[in-house]
Amino acid sequence: MKTSSKTKLAQSVALLGTLALLATGCSNAGNAPKADAASTDNPVTLTVTTFGAMGLDGLYEKYEKENPGVTIEATNIDTGGNALVDWKTKQASGAGLPDIQAVEEGWLGQVMAVSDSFSDLRDYGIEDLKSQWVDWKVEQATDKDGRIIGYGTDIGPEGICYNSKLLEKAGMPSERGEFAEFIGGQDSTWEDYFAAGKKYEEKTGKAWFDQSGFVWNAMVNQLTEGYYKKDGSLNIDGNAELSNRWKMLADATEAGLSSGQTQWDWGKGQAFLDGSFATMPCPGWMLGNVKGQVEGAGGDATSGWDFAGVFPGGPANWGGTFLTVPTTSKNPAEAAKLATWLTSAQPQAAAFEAAGTFPSNLEAQSSEQVTGSNELTKFFNDAPIGQLLAERAEGVKAQFKGADDSVIQEQVFGPATIALDGGKDGQAAWDEAMSTMKNLDIK
Amino acid sequence: MSIMTNNASDATGAAVPPGEPTPDAVHRAGDPVQEKKMRRRHRWGQIDFKYSPYLYVSPFFILFALVGLFPLIYTFVVSINDWDLLGGAGEWVGLDNYVAEISSPLFWNSLFNTFSIFLLSAIPQLLVATFIAAILDQNIRAKTFWRMSVLIPYVVTPVAVTLIFSSAFDEKYGLINNLLQTINIDPVAWKSEVIPSHLAIATMVNWRWTGYNALILLAAMQAVPRELHESAAIDGAGSLRRFFAITLPSIRPTMIFVVITATIGGLQIFTEPKLFNPSSSVPGGPEREYQTTVLYLWDLAFNRGDFGRASAVAWMLFLIIILIGLINFFLSGSIASSAEGGSRKNRRQQRIAHKHAVQMAQSKIASNGMPGSNGTAGEKGGESHE
Repeated sequence: MKTSSKTKLAQSVALLGTLALLATGCSNAGNAPKADAASTDNPVTLTVTTFGAMGLDGLYEKYEKENPGVTIEATNIDTGGNALVDWKTKQASGAGLPDIQAVEEGWLGQVMAVSDSFSDLRDYGIEDLKSQWVDWKVEQATDKDGRIIGYGTDIGPEGICYNSKLLEKAGMPSERGEFAEFIGGQDSTWEDYFAAGKKYEEKTGKAWFDQSGFVWNAMVNQLTEGYYKKDGSLNIDGNAELSNRWKMLADATEAGLSSGQTQWDWGKGQAFLDGSFATMPCPGWMLGNVKGQVEGAGGDATSGWDFAGVFPGGPANWGGTFLTVPTTSKNPAEAAKLATWLTSAQPQAAAFEAAGTFPSNLEAQSSEQVTGSNELTKFFNDAPIGQLLAERAEGVKAQFKGADDSVIQEQVFGPATIALDGGKDGQAAWDEAMSTMKNLDIK
Repeated sequence: MSIMTNNASDATGAAVPPGEPTPDAVHRAGDPVQEKKMRRRHRWGQIDFKYSPYLYVSPFFILFALVGLFPLIYTFVVSINDWDLLGGAGEWVGLDNYVAEISSPLFWNSLFNTFSIFLLSAIPQLLVATFIAAILDQNIRAKTFWRMSVLIPYVVTPVAVTLIFSSAFDEKYGLINNLLQTINIDPVAWKSEVIPSHLAIATMVNWRWTGYNALILLAAMQAVPRELHESAAIDGAGSLRRFFAITLPSIRPTMIFVVITATIGGLQIFTEPKLFNPSSSVPGGPEREYQTTVLYLWDLAFNRGDFGRASAVAWMLFLIIILIGLINFFLSGSIASSAEGGSRKNRRQQRIAHKHAVQMAQSKIASNGMPGSNGTAGEKGGESHE
């Protein structure tokens, strides 16, 4: 009798404990816990995970100085793909997530499936800030319940990087405006772009673009609906627009327009210097990568790279990032404060200066730092990068990203574009992509 | 603490010669409370004697249960569920995940790659390691220097090894293709063709493990009695003959150990193929040319988010390794006995003879009624039953 009452007592204590935990858990998710603001007496350490070249690294120190008591521990992961695996691992185990997690547009399908594990930023005043971003950026960060989970950092309006010296040597238009007209001007189509490439290839015997993967991504990203329809269903098999574009790309690679470089490697940057290819699709954030690759291989501004404000097939956006605050953060209010600051006009303009990540923040877009001259413009032959990108951002439509969007891009069409570059027939490569999709059980 | 002191006082009590009871003992015998206490103490001592050994060996079993057994069982639980990486546990699906994987060409492709890379690395590696060990076993100058330099590749972390080799095997800008081109050989697609990529990865594995295995084999060779070599040499056997007739048979058990560890390592290969082309959008090459099974299950779990099927693959790989381990075990059993110079049949006959002898001795002892010998005979009998 005695023991049973004891166990009963233990049971009820345990039950109460669990309930208490549940209650606190719920209150954490529902409304923001009011933690004391950070100060020298109440030091707070915030962890931030970013990837690629986001241009935020120089900003943390400034924030730390302006906000005594805040220490920022930043981790930058080399590529978005690796960062995605990192985030997924930590999300699945429920431990190790930073206070601020950078999330790429391509992950949104997966992120939105678990959107309740991100803080609703409306609790931290994002409603009042909404008008500071391009409208579709906020829409992308809104889940089906209307919670806003991300502060917009950069967007990826695309232009064309080209090597003016190579074009000059080939006796072709190398001046920015002339080059833009050469590949079709403001109404440029993919046919125009590839036709210009064929001329270049005939004269020089060299490739026109670095590899088919990025071209294909651009071709898909600029469509109103990409791999998925807006309702979330797959949109690949029987999609005439998609297969037409694939045929166009296959013709181009067959004509030798692709240099068949390894994505994100480019022979450790060598390919940017040895004339392997003359052009490349460049979203805003790619400019920092190009500069880094050239410099990593020992080159500098004299390598001849330039940036033209045109893009085949109409305005296109590739990628872009959000700063989110996972609910596991112990200091969500402080994290949201830091993320709000990082995505405000001034720091976003500074980030652009550092890495060419074109801001989704409208005020930053028109700031002098973005429109004026900086290290990046100097590298790209004094191209007015900020102005060109702002023009390229006009008319961009946000594309719905489905659950397996990144798997389709990386594992289905990634190998297929490499196969094209390797000389495979367009139809065969497409068929193989479809069978890969079947093998991967993408439905 | 109290138990310790009590035991100590008992011991001193026992040391007092019989017939002179200590005042303590007299007191104890008369007092029922004390008696109860003593009985409890005695019981505690028994418990201590019976169970504390289990306590002492428990850390291993607790750790094993936590980091060995639990993950194994939990993986199985995951594998029979439709488990999404981010979404968590879904429906119970029985063996559907296993069926799906067995019918998936990607799974079989990964198995083929694993075994191909394993064979391409293990066989040349063991041949070269034996050769190096045989050379180091000779009387050469600066022995320690050579032995140390053989081990250096093993000290370098696999990640660094892979990065260096990955750049050397680069298709467009790599050192190896550049060299090939200078002697007018077409560049090889090291990272996008099946056999070249397997060769490249096997090269990394060999570079790293050959020296390590050579040192282990060398240790075994050093243990071979020199007299055997000397007498064979006197009989006119050349060094090659001595190597095959004396050295190799003597190091068989070590060789088996090396083969087993190489097998386990080879079937679990991950780092080398993962980092061979880190920029590849598909882990293990664009067409999964060198996607090994562990890499495949990692891809399933973390890129495609299908935890259930990844766990099923993990379990099947586990079973395959156990199977190969068993084959190795039986193989090594037969080799080991032949190395001892007696076949299985011979040993069984010996054992039967031994048992017979023991039984004879037992019956003799029983009829003689010799005291104190029962224990030893019983022990022997027990042994013979084994």
